[in-house]
Amino acid sequence: MRRSRFNQGKRRYKRKFRGSKPRGSKPYSGKPHHGKSFATEDTNHTIEHRIAFLGNPNVGKSSIFNILTGSHQHVGNWPGKTVEKKEGHFLLSDEYFSLIDLPGAYSLSAHSEEELITRQYVVEERPDLVCAIVDATRLERTSYIALQALELTDNIALIVNMMDLAEKENIQIDKHKLEKLLGIPILLVSAFDNSSIIRIKKFLYDALHTEKYTFRPAYLLYSQKLETMINSVSRQIENREILRDYPTRWLSIKVLEADKWVISKLEEEYVLDDIFNKIEKLKKSVNFDPADEIPKRKYRALKDIVKKSVIGIEDFKEKVSDKVDKVVMHKFWGYPILILIYVAFFLITFYASGPIINGLDYLLSYFSDIVRGWLVAVSSPTFLTSLIVDGILAGIGAVLLFIPIIIIFYILIAVMEDSGYLARSAYLMDIVLGKFGLQGTAFLSMVMGLGCNVTGILAARTIKSDRDRISMILTNSFIPCAATLGVVAFLTGIFFKTKPWFAALLMLILYALSFLLVFLSSMFFRLFLGKSDTMPLIIEIPEYRLPRIRNIFYLTWERAGIFIKKAGTFIFIASIVIWFVSNVPYGVSTEYSIAGYIGRGLAFITEPLFGFDWRMVIPLLFGIAAKEVVISALSILGLLTVAWTTPQIISFLVFQMTYAPCFATLAIIKSETKSWKMTAIGFFYPLIVTSLITAAVYHILLLFL
Amino acid sequence: MNTMSNKFSLADSTVNSIVQVEKITSGQKARRFLADLGVLEGVKLRILKNDVGPILIEVKATRVAIGRGIAQKIEVTT
Ligand SMILES: Nc1nc2c(ncn2[C@@H]2O[C@H](COP(=O)(O)OP(=O)(O)OP(=O)(O)O)[C@@H](O)[C@H]2O)c(=O)[nH]1
Ligand SMILES: [Mg+2]
Repeated sequence: MRRSRFNQGKRRYKRKFRGSKPRGSKPYSGKPHHGKSFATEDTNHTIEHRIAFLGNPNVGKSSIFNILTGSHQHVGNWPGKTVEKKEGHFLLSDEYFSLIDLPGAYSLSAHSEEELITRQYVVEERPDLVCAIVDATRLERTSYIALQALELTDNIALIVNMMDLAEKENIQIDKHKLEKLLGIPILLVSAFDNSSIIRIKKFLYDALHTEKYTFRPAYLLYSQKLETMINSVSRQIENREILRDYPTRWLSIKVLEADKWVISKLEEEYVLDDIFNKIEKLKKSVNFDPADEIPKRKYRALKDIVKKSVIGIEDFKEKVSDKVDKVVMHKFWGYPILILIYVAFFLITFYASGPIINGLDYLLSYFSDIVRGWLVAVSSPTFLTSLIVDGILAGIGAVLLFIPIIIIFYILIAVMEDSGYLARSAYLMDIVLGKFGLQGTAFLSMVMGLGCNVTGILAARTIKSDRDRISMILTNSFIPCAATLGVVAFLTGIFFKTKPWFAALLMLILYALSFLLVFLSSMFFRLFLGKSDTMPLIIEIPEYRLPRIRNIFYLTWERAGIFIKKAGTFIFIASIVIWFVSNVPYGVSTEYSIAGYIGRGLAFITEPLFGFDWRMVIPLLFGIAAKEVVISALSILGLLTVAWTTPQIISFLVFQMTYAPCFATLAIIKSETKSWKMTAIGFFYPLIVTSLITAAVYHILLLFL
Repeated sequence: MNTMSNKFSLADSTVNSIVQVEKITSGQKARRFLADLGVLEGVKLRILKNDVGPILIEVKATRVAIGRGIAQKIEVTT
């Protein structure tokens, strides 16, 4: 076969020698320094260093980012959690460090949004330091992107994370050897070691300041054939007007790799036909495609580097995860286990939260009685007493009541995420979803949607096929979020107090129905969204890990915290509004209040169709703003104490599960699709479908009950 | 074309065997993504699961699930 001289002998790696560069506060050769002047009120830090974290998904970028900056970014054990770049800060020796946590990417090509974000950030924003993060247990694979970054920038350092796991596997990394081979500073750490924070901070500080490190990033030399081609492209584009920030050599490599973004940019200025003709000729005559050859060369170089600097790597060693997966991912047993786990999920939430809710309920009504008594004692006007007790307290209280449900549910989701099971359930569901034309990765978005549709829609970014992604964005609101779960659990708890097993069963059926709606809808959307560039399923399955209390705590805290905050702000205002519309003009019965008129108007349609009378409509109307408002409104309108017929209850439950995305979800649909048309579909499609289903359910129930 | 050789597709490989990638005949986009994950010509893989659904392989110490359709376009040898 074609063999070049490239991979023989020492020639493979050459140092790009530019002498030692003073770093940090002083500008250095060629590149403009980007440390902005910076001053805050309390101190006068005049230097700001910007450091960007890049690396593969799931190598621990956000974990390190969090410990350094004290933030609580999404950390979990599946690839693709961070989808937008996040910024955080820390101070060291009176200098201000800004860290940027970039989304995980497998490479710096332009196949996906994350990759484009990452590389544009590195080049166009010019951080003072790019810090590549890799996984010690998978050094070779996770360093691929680092090797690409070396071609893009000189200001680069490497953090080898997960050293605790590497030590367990007896993998020993020779740091100095690696530093020498790559020509950049390297730090070996484990994100959760107590000493790590200070070690990493110091490392970053040193990398930006002292002469301790010299940056001479290794310079990957390709085969002669490739080098000739790279040089010929380079010569052509050397004096370009555009993409001046990008290194010429890197652009040439990208042209040869057929990078669409780079090519289309360069074609604004150049005719590159000559090059493409040459490539075509090579492909035909010697079966040589630079686009395949370049990654191959990189991996070969990497393999060599790892071989020289690491000992103890055992190829294809059977791990504990493999043994567990023999059962958990079994072609048959995998499914009962999957169903069991997800059902347990809901049942645990449901049963564990019951007693807490009852206790809270007791406390809250006790509290509101005290407030009422006190208000009466100071002879406040009756409307004020009513506003405070029946409006604000009832509205906020109802939402506070189901916060335990939300917390328990979020803890369980976090455990699933951090253990590594979530990624596996996506794998298992691939077969099932395949029947509906979706890929397993869509399941990640659905499960995240169980927590919050906004998160679910963002998680759809892990879906590689554009069509699947759009259809998941549009149907994610069918997945009942934690707020909806709160409403369901709360209502079934009240209405079927004497039959808890029936309440639980009903809840499971409702959830199954919601998922079915997502599946069927994506089949339906396929008819309109046309053929997609069916990108096949390719997904990484992480090792199982013991869930970390810290991760679970912060994940839950961040997510449930939103609800608690909302209870104090948004729900507070919503409660006042609801109280007003249902009590103005003051003194008349609710039927003749503003809300009464609206409700009675809508009831012309909803009463015959779904059995919702004028009072039941109002909570649903307000629920479009945020799902938990449904409960607040039911409580303010006093609907939790009146008798509903069984068909009414079930019809109401079915409807509120899926009827419309909340405001926050609509906003994210708009920002993710960048289309008002899609946003409109995202709103009306669930509304129409849910209406049809609810009408059917209601009328069938009427026949039997 | 290669009835004589012992090449077969990844989709036909047996569990626990270790195979070497010979050629990937899929579209360029998929080929590139596979390369990003370390699956490219000359690389050794271990088959962890190959019955129904995506094929689970281990490559460069990482577990990767690959859809059956694309696995058919990955030619391997033992
Ligand atoms: N044992 C061990 N686990 C770690 C270490 N660092 C991170 N983890 C775990 O690895 C998983 C992934 O960590 P994240 O910080 O979410 O990874 P990420 O690189 O931000 O991932 P994406 O945002 O998906 O690209 C989590 O389960 C962490 O708890 C480490 O040093 N040792
Ligand atoms: Mg992250």
